[in-house]
Amino acid sequence: MTTELVTPGDVIGKATEFKAGKGAYVKDTIIYASLTGTRRIVSPLPESLDQRAIVEVTGHKAHGPIPGTGSVVIARVTKVMARMAAVDILCVGSKAVRENFAGVIRQQDVRATEIDKVDMHQSFRAGDIVRAMVLSLGDARAYYLSTAKNELGVVSAESAAGETMVPISWTEMQCPLSGQTEQRKVAKVGN
Amino acid sequence: MAAKPGAATPTYSPKLVGSSRLPIFKDSDLDWSRPDGRGFHQCRPALLQTGAVSSASGSAYAEFGNTKVIVSVFGPRESKKAMVFSDVGRLNCNVSYTTFASPTIGQGTDHKEYSSMLHKALEGVIMMETFPKTTVDVFALVLESGGSDLSVVISCASLALADAGIMMYDLITAVSVSCIGKSLMIDPVTEEEGCEDGSFMMTCMPSRYEITQLTVTGEWTTPNINEAMQLCLDACSKLGEIMRDCLKQAASASEE
Repeated sequence: MTTELVTPGDVIGKATEFKAGKGAYVKDTIIYASLTGTRRIVSPLPESLDQRAIVEVTGHKAHGPIPGTGSVVIARVTKVMARMAAVDILCVGSKAVRENFAGVIRQQDVRATEIDKVDMHQSFRAGDIVRAMVLSLGDARAYYLSTAKNELGVVSAESAAGETMVPISWTEMQCPLSGQTEQRKVAKVGN
Repeated sequence: MAAKPGAATPTYSPKLVGSSRLPIFKDSDLDWSRPDGRGFHQCRPALLQTGAVSSASGSAYAEFGNTKVIVSVFGPRESKKAMVFSDVGRLNCNVSYTTFASPTIGQGTDHKEYSSMLHKALEGVIMMETFPKTTVDVFALVLESGGSDLSVVISCASLALADAGIMMYDLITAVSVSCIGKSLMIDPVTEEEGCEDGSFMMTCMPSRYEITQLTVTGEWTTPNINEAMQLCLDACSKLGEIMRDCLKQAASASEE
């Protein structure tokens, strides 16, 4: 593997020999870098049909992550309304965002079954940390998120007593102090 | 922000390539010279630094002679709520002057015309589709106005964008030329801009050899435009080299 520093616009290979990977683009059979970083040549996956080596630029300083369709995000619930919950996206994948992004979980996207019987207030509470998937870029205001999967939903919530609750089923969480149970759309965490 | 002591500031001057006719005057037998004693085809020394503003995603500081500019790039971040949905990214540019930027007493104001010209120069080079729905903000602040402000702002902005890790097709460099009488002066200072007959500014992608913006004002003859174009293209590619060196230096310094 060879490494060298490149800047946007530098020619990093020919499209006949290489395939453009991350931080690179092709124009007129020439591959250019689109980021500042180190040029790397990665061998293609053995099962791929295209056996050209991939040339990519790994940024020394990439911009902050932005949510994209299909990415799994961690978000904090800010407001629960009758038909939707407003959230702030905190992490995209495993990376924390640098700027805040607003998202909404609509009533029909909370769970996969009986989607017309969902009560938003029995699913989320302001302050909950949820894991959700980005359904679409949404409208001008917010990303549309979904928790309609077993592994998606509330991952951390505080009870009325101010203690972090423990999940006891996929719809309930219990406060270790008062023993009170609260309704949530709980995420299945781990295995 | 002061220049690093002892750091050599690289200068660059374009070479007229393929010019069939000789310059009308040789630099030596002109009866007047430029205010800062430069040759007519010699650019001011260019000092470039990245990472000038720590709170921004990316930033750059440029000092071309007396023109001092700082550009910060923020984002990609959420577009304003009032904006309509767009599946490609947005670019928001703003050029402003400090109150002490020019010797005449004025207020530090936003420069609307420069802001839109900066936007036009940059939008062709940024891969907008890589940050859908979000906005990249480019804020340029002219600390001291010493001539050719816009071209310095544009070059500095592209450096800041590269520092922020925004995907770009190429770097952008901008060079301006003034026409006074029969002579062409590259990279004019404020005094020269004040008495010019025509101004010419070109922004181009140096390694792609493509022009993204061309502004011509005032009185020009066709051969002069040709010569100015060649001068600018060559100066742009030389400035591009300086900018690449600056980025590479910053990248290798951060790795250590």
